[in-house]
Amino acid sequence: MALSSDSSTGRDSREKITIQNVSRSYESTQALDDVSFSVSEGEFCCVVGPSGCGKTTLLRAIAGLDDPDGGSILVGGDPVTGPGLDRGMVFQEYALFPWRTVRGNIGFGLDRPACDCPDCEAQVRELIDLVGLDGFEDAYPKELSGGMKQRVGIARALAPDPEILLMDEPFGSVDARTRDRLHGELLDIWTQTGQTVVFVTHDIDEAVTLADRVVVMDADPGTVQSTFSIELERQRERTSRDFVDHVARSKQPRARWPEAFVVPSALSEHSLLGERAG
Amino acid sequence: MSTRTDTSSNAVVAGSFEGGLRRYLRGLGGLLVFLLVWWVGAMTTQPSYLVPGPLQSVHAFIELFATSTAIVVPVLGSSLVLPTGLAHLAQTLFHYVPGLLLGALCGISLGLAMGWNGALDDWLRPLVRVLRPIPPLAWVVFAIVWFGIHHTGAAFIVFVGAFWINFYGAYGGVEGVSTELTDAASTLGVERDLSMLKLVALPSAAPQVLTGFRTSIGRCWMIVVGAELFGAPDVGYEIINASNNLAMATSVAYMFLISLAFLCMDVGFRLLERRVLAWR
Repeated sequence: MALSSDSSTGRDSREKITIQNVSRSYESTQALDDVSFSVSEGEFCCVVGPSGCGKTTLLRAIAGLDDPDGGSILVGGDPVTGPGLDRGMVFQEYALFPWRTVRGNIGFGLDRPACDCPDCEAQVRELIDLVGLDGFEDAYPKELSGGMKQRVGIARALAPDPEILLMDEPFGSVDARTRDRLHGELLDIWTQTGQTVVFVTHDIDEAVTLADRVVVMDADPGTVQSTFSIELERQRERTSRDFVDHVARSKQPRARWPEAFVVPSALSEHSLLGERAG
Repeated sequence: MSTRTDTSSNAVVAGSFEGGLRRYLRGLGGLLVFLLVWWVGAMTTQPSYLVPGPLQSVHAFIELFATSTAIVVPVLGSSLVLPTGLAHLAQTLFHYVPGLLLGALCGISLGLAMGWNGALDDWLRPLVRVLRPIPPLAWVVFAIVWFGIHHTGAAFIVFVGAFWINFYGAYGGVEGVSTELTDAASTLGVERDLSMLKLVALPSAAPQVLTGFRTSIGRCWMIVVGAELFGAPDVGYEIINASNNLAMATSVAYMFLISLAFLCMDVGFRLLERRVLAWR
């Protein structure tokens, strides 16, 4: 526990993404209403909530693909003004370029003249190896299964070596077994690369499996309901008591959480959340 | 067990082969029935020149290659002696090919530009609405006044026809580019400008652009013959010329020649298309 409070004090000084009072509305819905939280460097943060809670909008805003109406988003202390190679994005429906092979898709971010990688081809080969797609270098996306497509999507986002990886329900369209395997692979990759990850999902089990910290959102208007840290060792067993407790906790409104479940490391967020959860 | 699966897969292969064979036989049957109707029709129609018979037409077709004709190659100015049929086909191609390629190039360029640039689209859309419905052959009068009844005039008419078909292929293709793909590209460092057009919009629109071009290959054959009926030299002119001499079989022979030329181009382009769009 001492260790975790150390990391939480260190966290403030290494804040990677800061979301301050962000609001965004579409014609009739308030997708985001005064949302604030931050993600520290190297942290695996899951944003979980029902559909329509604005979690994708939030992710797109961090990516610079969508402008919020109000509030600000800082990445490494600088406001986001548009997309950038420092933030890689993985899309729910893969968004692979169908006319490019696996190799061509992964190398897309390295094809710019501005790219300064010494040996792009070697880097692409390394990434193909990292996501386990050896032998499929010359396959087109239509020839791949959903899980393989998303491996390409992840490798493509990793290629320009971004500091932040943004993932929008990346495993929403693959079957449960493939998803379990991809979770393990993603955590392995994250351990190797040490990126800051923001992972959006509507599946609480998935969030508790992966995250250092979970941000729970409410829909209409999209607000942050609660934030809590997960101190369980990885690989996490979905059937273990602690895991079930965490899942149960995230499903309840903050006010009704039994005191015993509020782990000390979550106290640092408590003050931030007090005003809206209380 | 294994023998059973073997036989069943053999049965499947044999089934698809039989299906293919049946299709070919039916197609052949259709052609034979048509020939029979044509033959009977030609036999029973009087006066006989109204409907030349199949044999007569085949004879005329062979005749096209038995004599030779000298033609002048435009631009180069040198003359060339070819079998009559090929000579007239070549003359037609001298205005068909430049008209088609130039029209496709301009149409695709404008389509891409308007599909990609909203402001340009706003400026030109009403103009396109007004000009689009004019049939290419209506431009014949201007083709004659501006360019005279020769290669350039006919090429101009083909140009107009190729232009619009390719314009709409490219325009629709670029408009249909998914925002998910452009989003993905922008997170990978492509800014919304020429490089986005080149890296995302163009390859994504390629199937529609190519379909547009393939359609224009056929449409331009119709247009080129129409243009030639007004007097520009060649295949179309020969059709009307032969009929003026009541050599209807020769007209039919030229019609076959056009059909053959179109088939060759269409098959060739389909093969190319399949190669380019292997990713589909």
